[in-house]
Amino acid sequence: MAEFLSAFSWINIRFLLMGLWVTIEVAVVSVILSFIIGSLLGVIRYVKIPYLSRIVGFIIDVIRNLPLLLIIFFTYFALPKIGIHLGVMTSTIFALTIFESAMLAEVIRSGIVAVPKGQLEGALSNGLSFKQALWHIILPQAYKKMIPPIVSQFVSLIKDTSLATIIMLPEVTYRAQIIYAQEPNAIVAMFFALAVLYFALNYVISKIGRILDRRMAA
Amino acid sequence: MSMIEFKDVEKYYGDFHALKDINLDVEAGETVVLLGPSGSGKSTLIRTVNGLEPVQEGQLIVNGQDLANPQTDMNRTRKNVGMVFQHFNLYANKTVLENIMLAPRLVLKRDEAENKKIAMELLERVGLADKADKMPSTLSGGQQQRIAIARSLAMKPKALLFDEPTSALDPEMVNDVLKIMREIAADSSMTMLVVTHEMGFAKQVADRVIFMADGQILEDSPTEEFFANPKEPRARQFLSQIIH
Repeated sequence: MAEFLSAFSWINIRFLLMGLWVTIEVAVVSVILSFIIGSLLGVIRYVKIPYLSRIVGFIIDVIRNLPLLLIIFFTYFALPKIGIHLGVMTSTIFALTIFESAMLAEVIRSGIVAVPKGQLEGALSNGLSFKQALWHIILPQAYKKMIPPIVSQFVSLIKDTSLATIIMLPEVTYRAQIIYAQEPNAIVAMFFALAVLYFALNYVISKIGRILDRRMAA
Repeated sequence: MSMIEFKDVEKYYGDFHALKDINLDVEAGETVVLLGPSGSGKSTLIRTVNGLEPVQEGQLIVNGQDLANPQTDMNRTRKNVGMVFQHFNLYANKTVLENIMLAPRLVLKRDEAENKKIAMELLERVGLADKADKMPSTLSGGQQQRIAIARSLAMKPKALLFDEPTSALDPEMVNDVLKIMREIAADSSMTMLVVTHEMGFAKQVADRVIFMADGQILEDSPTEEFFANPKEPRARQFLSQIIH
């Protein structure tokens, strides 16, 4: 027990929290980028542009069926072979964004499909262009319905950042490993700390998501 | 001058022949009611007039533009041809006032103060000025339909299409909506094409009645003549079923 508690020195806690901040940074930047790209891809899938929508659909299907770890390996180890050198942080954000964009594209496409068809017909016959109808009427209603799935994607994204340990991104899981590499007795304590940190962060986000969903529904 | 003109129009849904050899001419300012049993193609026909349903053959000239031509810019037609739906289709994410002001702002670039003034006048006209800041979902069907009509009128259209505007309403709401439609029809410059089962309204307001069945126009007669002495046996049968 004394071993367990001694692992929680201020130095260790501070070291972990700095890692948690990296985790949050990577997750937030990735989720914002993938929200924008995913929206674009989702809309392209929805409007059925000849060829383009098919190609985008195929790429999304491929990405969705690959392990995220493979995409991280690819961006960090394979891209340099063709002359693209990204840092650890950028590689992680790049890989997470590609993966999450594909996931969110499907969420967004199904959100758009779930808006009653009459909304589009009403807007078009009111004189709005398709683009205006999409922007002012369809997407706002679709996003409202999509808050729960988007929040749960965000939570998996935070958990997925731990995969970047493999390419030595100094996020929270990686830092825990550094600590118990130096203090082998701290291993259980570090796993416990990781569990608490991930749980606390994700639980808060889920709660905020639920409150947001209830507010918007009212 | 004709506002809406069908010339030998054919429409298919895949293999299904939805509209067969449609020829119809609606003059500017005319009020025409479409009658017929369900599945006869009335709604399909009215939805082709603002391009919500494409047609495959023939010519469909609306406000001078041929909608049968795939190159035609439907938006230009829709600016001048409003539509009122059975299920209202008000924008669920906008207030009542925003529902009315959105299209004039985006499409006509109407000045904001003037836009609001016109919108409030229209709300006044349909008797719902006190609902301006409400969300559509909080209103009754009859109220929503009156706002949908106000939304269409805000674009100052040359023609209005009504697709069973009272079919989804509780009986006590129907008259409020019909009253507004009568007032619009009284405006001699407005062209109206109405799909309805309200025979009283048809008798009172329509200049002409079109009777459809199985995707065809079977009869096209002046209103009085149609109700007094329908030529087609199918029309006679239809009337006897509806009027007791």
